[in-house]
Amino acid sequence: MSSTLFKTTLKKNWTLLLIFFGVLTMYMTIMISMYDPEDMEALMSMFKLLPPDLMKALGFSSLATDLTAYLASWLYGLLMIAFPMIYSIILGNKLVAKMVDNGSFAYLLSTPNSRVKIITTQGLYALSTVLVLFSALFGLGVTVCGAMFPGALDITAFFRLNLTTMLVNMVVMMISFFFSCLFNETKMSLSFGAGIPIMFLLMNILGGASTNIEFLKKFSIYGIYDPIKLVHGSEVWGVNLFYIGIIVALFIASVFIFKKKRLPL
Amino acid sequence: MIDVNGLTLKYPSGKGIFDVNFKVNNGEVVGYLGPNGAGKTTTIRALLGFMRPDSGKCSIGGLDCTEDAPQIQKTLGYIPGEITFLDGMNGDEFLKFMCDMRGTRDFTRQKQLIEMFELETKGNIKKFSKGMKQKIGIVTAFMHNPDVLLLDEPTSGLDPLMQNRFVELILEEKKKGKTILMSSHMFEEVERACDNVLIIKDGKIVVQSDVIELKNSQRKGFIIKPADMTSSSNILQNAGFEIGTVTKDSIEIFITGEKTDLFIKTAAQFKVLNLEIKAQSLEDIFMQFYGKEGK
Repeated sequence: MSSTLFKTTLKKNWTLLLIFFGVLTMYMTIMISMYDPEDMEALMSMFKLLPPDLMKALGFSSLATDLTAYLASWLYGLLMIAFPMIYSIILGNKLVAKMVDNGSFAYLLSTPNSRVKIITTQGLYALSTVLVLFSALFGLGVTVCGAMFPGALDITAFFRLNLTTMLVNMVVMMISFFFSCLFNETKMSLSFGAGIPIMFLLMNILGGASTNIEFLKKFSIYGIYDPIKLVHGSEVWGVNLFYIGIIVALFIASVFIFKKKRLPL
Repeated sequence: MIDVNGLTLKYPSGKGIFDVNFKVNNGEVVGYLGPNGAGKTTTIRALLGFMRPDSGKCSIGGLDCTEDAPQIQKTLGYIPGEITFLDGMNGDEFLKFMCDMRGTRDFTRQKQLIEMFELETKGNIKKFSKGMKQKIGIVTAFMHNPDVLLLDEPTSGLDPLMQNRFVELILEEKKKGKTILMSSHMFEEVERACDNVLIIKDGKIVVQSDVIELKNSQRKGFIIKPADMTSSSNILQNAGFEIGTVTKDSIEIFITGEKTDLFIKTAAQFKVLNLEIKAQSLEDIFMQFYGKEGK
């Protein structure tokens, strides 16, 4: 890893991370402040009026009445997937394909640093920002909940929730990063780097909407991501290990492909 | 120092370079000429290790260009044909970044170069003019005192004064024993700066020669002004000379060295009012290879 490159990448991209952290901070704070234990029953009965398929599709399936499960279904069901996904798509493309496309990557390679070193640096930057994002969100959640509803948040469960959510988002980050390393053009890198994660998300939503096409979920990386289950304590190491496996495999594949390929610089 | 051996690199379009062979010895400055799309940049891409060749080998200082690229880069300076800097950087930030990436500690050469090219490094590079970007590219390539330089059209965008200064820089580096390969469209600068010339056409090296020798070996042009145009033009044609531009009172003739005697004897058959030798520059030679009427 090259620390000079890491620092420069950070300098050029920290604002992007900050914007997404800002948006998610806003949502999280609003969601927590909207929590009212006494009103939860009333809220739930109201939602029962909505078509159950729609609710299921959007991931708001379980009847959650405690704060942790409430956050898991309302915040982690979709928002904590969709927003970081946009972040990953933008950053993944920016870290490699954009620089190869516009030619500035030539300057990175005209220094005594190997392709492997450069790509590893960029990939580690990508993953570490997802780590920072979810650490910060975890800290924020604990702080805000502690201030508004002392003792109501199950911190261990909330940690489990954030850990797996972080890992699934790292998978998305690596998908975008992989296509960024594979293609020399931003157009292609973005089409696949955005298209495939979005497809996974849509497959999950559609698969949740109807039992006829529930099989779609099985092919989506989100199929095994269940925020409510995470909160309710069932062991999730299998899921976590599965995600870690994909992350590592995609990382290695990205480095390997980039090392071998021809660069039109 | 630079050794290119049977290098073939094909693009999906069918273009590319085919079985390119040449050598640049230690301390030699070689000009690399050729029209757009002939394969100059492709050769340089292979030398930098950006593109793995289909077959053949190229090496710099004995190190393989594809496998040992990072090792080679330690003592290599490069100016890309189309310079794009990293986004959102100031000029001085970029130079500092490149020094850090290379681990350069000595900034004296950088300062000298900035002065030499009257470069203003403040401000976002994106907003710089083409010439200013080119100057930053030049400083970046030379500031770590590399032994080998690969320069892809290094003077594009520079004004004549700066082009001149660039040739001075090349001559200065040559004195220090640097090995330089530069592609160019500026014949004058190649004539002034380079010892040898390579000419590439459609991906194949067509000429590989000493600059002076190349100029001498080529045909010479004469402009002859005869008293009687028609008869003299017939005499010359019958003797088998290649006739260039014909105006109402002059004929342009091209001859190679060994035909000089025949030319003088043929011209003696008619009255000659005036005879001028047309000085041939590298550009004429180049046009001979590339011009539509060229062989």
